[in-house]
Amino acid sequence: MATTRRQFLELVGGAAALATARLDTAPAFAQATPVRMGVLTIKSGIGAQVGEAGLRSAQWTTDRINKAGGILGRKLELVVEEESTPKDTVERFRKLALQNKVDVITGVISTGVSLAIGPVAEELKMLWISWDGTTQKGVEETMPNPRYSFRSTDNECEAVMASIVVAKNWKGKFRTVAGINPDYSYGRDNWQAFLWIMEKYGNPVTPVSDLWPKLGTTDFTAHVAALQQAKPDLIFSSHWAGDASVLMKQAHAAGLVGNTKFVFVVAGGVHETLKKSFTPEGMFLGYNTIYFDYADASPLQKQFVKEYNDRYKEWPVFECERAYLVTSAYKAAVEKAAKAIGGKWPTTDQVIDALEGLELESLGGKARYRKDHIPECNFYGGFTTYKNRFDFVTIDPVVKMTGPEVQKPSGVGLKDWIQSWKV
Amino acid sequence: MTGRVVLGLVVLGVAAAPLLGHQYYTTLMLPFFGYSLAVLGLNLLFGYTGLLSFGGALFVALGAYTAAYLTSVFGVLAFEGIVLAAAVVGFLVAIPVGLLCVRYVRIYFGMLTLAFGMLFYSFLFKFYHLTGGDEGLRVLRPRLFGLAFESLDKVQFLTGPFYYYSLALMVVGTAVMWRIARSPFGLCLRSIRENPGKAEYVGVSVRRYRFYAFLIAGVFGAVGGTLLAVPTGLADPLLAYWPHSGTLVFMMLLGGFSNFFGPILGAFVFIFLQDQVMSLTQYWRFVFGLILAIVVIFVPRGLMGFLDPRQRAGV
Repeated sequence: MATTRRQFLELVGGAAALATARLDTAPAFAQATPVRMGVLTIKSGIGAQVGEAGLRSAQWTTDRINKAGGILGRKLELVVEEESTPKDTVERFRKLALQNKVDVITGVISTGVSLAIGPVAEELKMLWISWDGTTQKGVEETMPNPRYSFRSTDNECEAVMASIVVAKNWKGKFRTVAGINPDYSYGRDNWQAFLWIMEKYGNPVTPVSDLWPKLGTTDFTAHVAALQQAKPDLIFSSHWAGDASVLMKQAHAAGLVGNTKFVFVVAGGVHETLKKSFTPEGMFLGYNTIYFDYADASPLQKQFVKEYNDRYKEWPVFECERAYLVTSAYKAAVEKAAKAIGGKWPTTDQVIDALEGLELESLGGKARYRKDHIPECNFYGGFTTYKNRFDFVTIDPVVKMTGPEVQKPSGVGLKDWIQSWKV
Repeated sequence: MTGRVVLGLVVLGVAAAPLLGHQYYTTLMLPFFGYSLAVLGLNLLFGYTGLLSFGGALFVALGAYTAAYLTSVFGVLAFEGIVLAAAVVGFLVAIPVGLLCVRYVRIYFGMLTLAFGMLFYSFLFKFYHLTGGDEGLRVLRPRLFGLAFESLDKVQFLTGPFYYYSLALMVVGTAVMWRIARSPFGLCLRSIRENPGKAEYVGVSVRRYRFYAFLIAGVFGAVGGTLLAVPTGLADPLLAYWPHSGTLVFMMLLGGFSNFFGPILGAFVFIFLQDQVMSLTQYWRFVFGLILAIVVIFVPRGLMGFLDPRQRAGV
């Protein structure tokens, strides 16, 4: 079939238009295909509230990135799948990688699930940046040198922070302690870290009770009775979901609130449920990596908190910060890697290299991915107060600690690290 | 004759699945093979003997933890040894559990099997040093007939040699179960299901036969558990949790417990339906609850009741 003069001119015109296209706005790969980011998050059960908060934040971050032109000109698109049991989540992970062919997978909150996902990410050579899941077994790392897996901060960071603050502020004011922690690795890691740090700070404590209710328990009657019986000076808890406020309510009803000191290392994750009517002033409350009402917050955090509250009528929690960090870290790493290779779209290995050591601003302040693929973030906590405009407790003053202050260095065991402190 | 042709075509189709190039859907067939064996065993108890067990997950988890222990603690990677060990462990555990459970029938049997399942779940969850607690235990990549297939990555291994190994195991297991169901022993089980009093009267040792059925179900469940554990790479306590037992019962009802192949079809449909519905909505459990209600109320013979003309006619 012969080419007509009109067709020839159209071809030449098209080629000329392509040749003269501005190259400074977006590289050649910025054509139609969006960057696909898989997201695995909890959508039902006790962790759904936290999972939903993370998803909202990931979407907010994605919209923000797309409004600013996407990643190297390509739109970012989320492909969401549910995080549930390790077996089912591994299958969802494979679906995202093999069927949906996403460029990166983010999310995962549970460490139990992350322990299964980590090796699968390595096997599939699929970049996975976790929101909140670690690959720790107990307080020790099971994947010291992963290639494709980027994990969350260590499980016990919030307990380390709480313990340091409590040891410094309440030294000599408590002797007997009781732990009530969710019955899985996270709860056990936190309780262990607390006891070691008390010992290190020369604050000898006598555990009079350690209780392990199942995660998601809503009836603490027996546990509260045991606490009443044990009469501890201090109650330590690492409950992080709706069960934290249920525990507090039942402890209040049983008359435990008053003389006993409370340390809730991460219940700030459900801070709006900790109403003034049953939550005492002066207890330690940890918020993890973002405090929504922080006076010295960055303009970025202030914008996020405002828009989040305007839209959802809720105040953001730490999973929002995790999702923001991960989503924006991927963008920053792609751009850093592309810059190093002259603006081309980088390979997964090049993105990984760029992520190692990457520093960026997250919602809670400066963050950094270490060479061992674990991030360093700021942690927030403090003692509760009623002096605020809300019907729930907040903290004042706000204590902020940096990643290296609350997280063990790469390759060092938790106990060895604590022993090495000069206090 | 037509049935055999259909069966042959199905097996050929399943064998050809990896050639279609959909790696993800091929990996999704692996839990199907594992669940098929587990529900075949469970259906020997329910469909043939009339005992509904809510403790099926116990044996699946036993198989998975046997694979985890052998590969990551003892360094045994030969999958033949793992399958054999799982069968033995399933058999040994089924002896005391079965002896106690088959003394009861109906809801009492169901509750007792549920109780043993939860007992094992609690053991897995609480005994951290032995079982890894909630973190579970890693299941390392096994060797098949002494071959490590080192040149293949994990997905190639799963969708290649391991796929055909699992398929073969499922076909052999199905054939064995077919022989059991069609044997005089199977006939005795059916007579127990229909009327235990009469069966006893004509000389069938009802409790003993129920116990044997329980042992066989235990072995099938444990072998199925090994096939589930390898693709996941982890054995975790949720495998023994009661909703997992419920999943096995759901598969059986969905496919149809009154047909030999019903539970297998149920496992297949459940896995692929779950895959699709999970991606579409977070309320997938609600959808599955609705499906279960519809099946129980309107299609008590399950999907095979639709497909099998003899069952449609109520034969």
